[in-house]
Amino acid sequence: MTKRLARTFPSHRLTLLFTLLVLLLLVPLILKASWASLATEMLIMALAGCALNVMLGYTGMVSFGPAGLYAVGAYTTAILLSRYHSSFVLAVLGAPILAGIVGVIVGWFCVRRSATYFALLTLAFSQIIWTVIFEWYDFTGGDNGIVSIPIPEFFFTISYCYYFTLAIVAGCLTLLWTIVQSPFGKTLQAIRENPGRTEFIAIHLKRYQLAAFTLSSVFLGVAGSLYCVFSGSVFPDYAHWVKSTDMLVVCLLGGFYHFAGPMVGAMVYILLSKLIAKQTMFWMFFLGAIIIFLVLFMRNGIVGFISEKLASALGRASESGAKEGSR
Amino acid sequence: MTLEAAAGQALSGISVGMVLFLIAVGLSIIFGTLKVLNLAHGSIYMVGGFLCFGFTSALAHVPGAFWWTLILAPLAVALLGGLIEILLLRRIYDQDVLYQYILTFGLILILGESCKFIWGVGYHTVSAPWPVEGKIPIWGLSFPVYNLFLIGCGVVVFLGLLALMRYTGLGRMIRAVTYNREMANALGVNVPRVYTGVFMLGCWLAGLAGTLMPPMSVVALGSDMAVIIECFIIVVIGGLGSLPGAFLGAVILGLLTAFGIYVIPKLAVAFAFLLMIAILIIRPWGLMGKPE
Repeated sequence: MTKRLARTFPSHRLTLLFTLLVLLLLVPLILKASWASLATEMLIMALAGCALNVMLGYTGMVSFGPAGLYAVGAYTTAILLSRYHSSFVLAVLGAPILAGIVGVIVGWFCVRRSATYFALLTLAFSQIIWTVIFEWYDFTGGDNGIVSIPIPEFFFTISYCYYFTLAIVAGCLTLLWTIVQSPFGKTLQAIRENPGRTEFIAIHLKRYQLAAFTLSSVFLGVAGSLYCVFSGSVFPDYAHWVKSTDMLVVCLLGGFYHFAGPMVGAMVYILLSKLIAKQTMFWMFFLGAIIIFLVLFMRNGIVGFISEKLASALGRASESGAKEGSR
Repeated sequence: MTLEAAAGQALSGISVGMVLFLIAVGLSIIFGTLKVLNLAHGSIYMVGGFLCFGFTSALAHVPGAFWWTLILAPLAVALLGGLIEILLLRRIYDQDVLYQYILTFGLILILGESCKFIWGVGYHTVSAPWPVEGKIPIWGLSFPVYNLFLIGCGVVVFLGLLALMRYTGLGRMIRAVTYNREMANALGVNVPRVYTGVFMLGCWLAGLAGTLMPPMSVVALGSDMAVIIECFIIVVIGGLGSLPGAFLGAVILGLLTAFGIYVIPKLAVAFAFLLMIAILIIRPWGLMGKPE
């Protein structure tokens, strides 16, 4: 079953993870700087996607407003650095904290309503955040954004920036993995599978949903802050619904019933977007077409698709292999 | 603010509200019957707006071009809606609602980019047609006739929809499917056809709104998202799935936006958001909706 998530962390996956980490560490050494910057973007997108997936895939709450919280993170770092000249550590740490606080407030309103209204409300709230950023010229720079943010010179070298991003993203993903594998994470999955029955076993639905929302907001804040450090500038576009679509598509493309889904999704999506955007100015049209194709024909995304194929291939070999591969 | 300014502002607020009502009520009916939240509804409205520009410029030499457009454009939009329902939405009714949202989100991108491809990124204008152009004096104040015409259209459509739902066989069928799909199906109602019909009706209303809006405003890209957010506010205020709720919500939103501009020009939309938040706290199911 695709919906069932792995309970264990088998050894072959540890090997895979180790290989991946070594490859990621080698990226700036063997590839050109432009690829390192692309890889940095992928890492940040992977973190944003995984953060959103805590809500989307694990708790079954469809949010259309992740970009709002991502922008809160990015703008916190940007404003702390450029307006208050605070230390870099404080500016980066402040982002998830403020995103978490905004997440609690927005989430408190959003989880009051289920499914459809929840989706509407997240979209509306992210538009509020966008409007505030867009209109508050004195503080956020309005549609000019904030450029030439005084980030430490250390990050001007792309490979250092890449390693910094890699370290933070790896740390956050490990933390997220631990959280979704904990009893708390299992409770979230129970809510996704059957909210009614979860409530029968005396679990306070709204409280858990709010916790998932906040958790997701905190990590979206980290992703936003990382992107601010990476690009050295912030724009209201970060809060725009198009950015939310990017994150949703990343989850959908990779498959949101797998922890690794958004990571694979981020990689493929950023590569695809660069390739198609080079060819045509109507890139969004193709994005829409890809989304519809995925919804109609590949609902479990790339990771889901591969693990299904893997499961059937292994299933022919042995019974136990199928169980392992399908997770 | 003088009395004249206030009355003018109220009138333009209500007339914008009426256009929003046409869109929101379509969203609401579709949700009520199909249980699909059509995120692309704003895009369907925008397609209507571009078709209005397209038809009026193509028919420019024909007398009464706008009135022909008013018949043709919403029908074209309804046909587009029918195609979307039959080719795409129908295939995912039995899936998780998540996929509906994402599918209609994909449609936003496709429809938006198609409009950009066909009509370009510029603004287009359509002038108000005879005999509803110009201004008319009422009680010593002068009002644009077109705004009054829009209010008339909104009220006529509202009453028409109420009558359709309450007194006709078709309305009974729609209500039956809304109330209990399986039972209606067992009693011989062709449910898939009702679904297609209701979706087309909703799209026709959005197309009508799109056709009516350009003489008062402009046809431009990006109006899809602005409008869909406003529709969400309306249905949260009024209650999703409720006809009178959509009407009430639209009037409230129109007035709030019109007068909000006087208080804080840039953040007029914030008032609507604040009202929405207040309603969510006090009466989360909306003014005219039913508690879950």
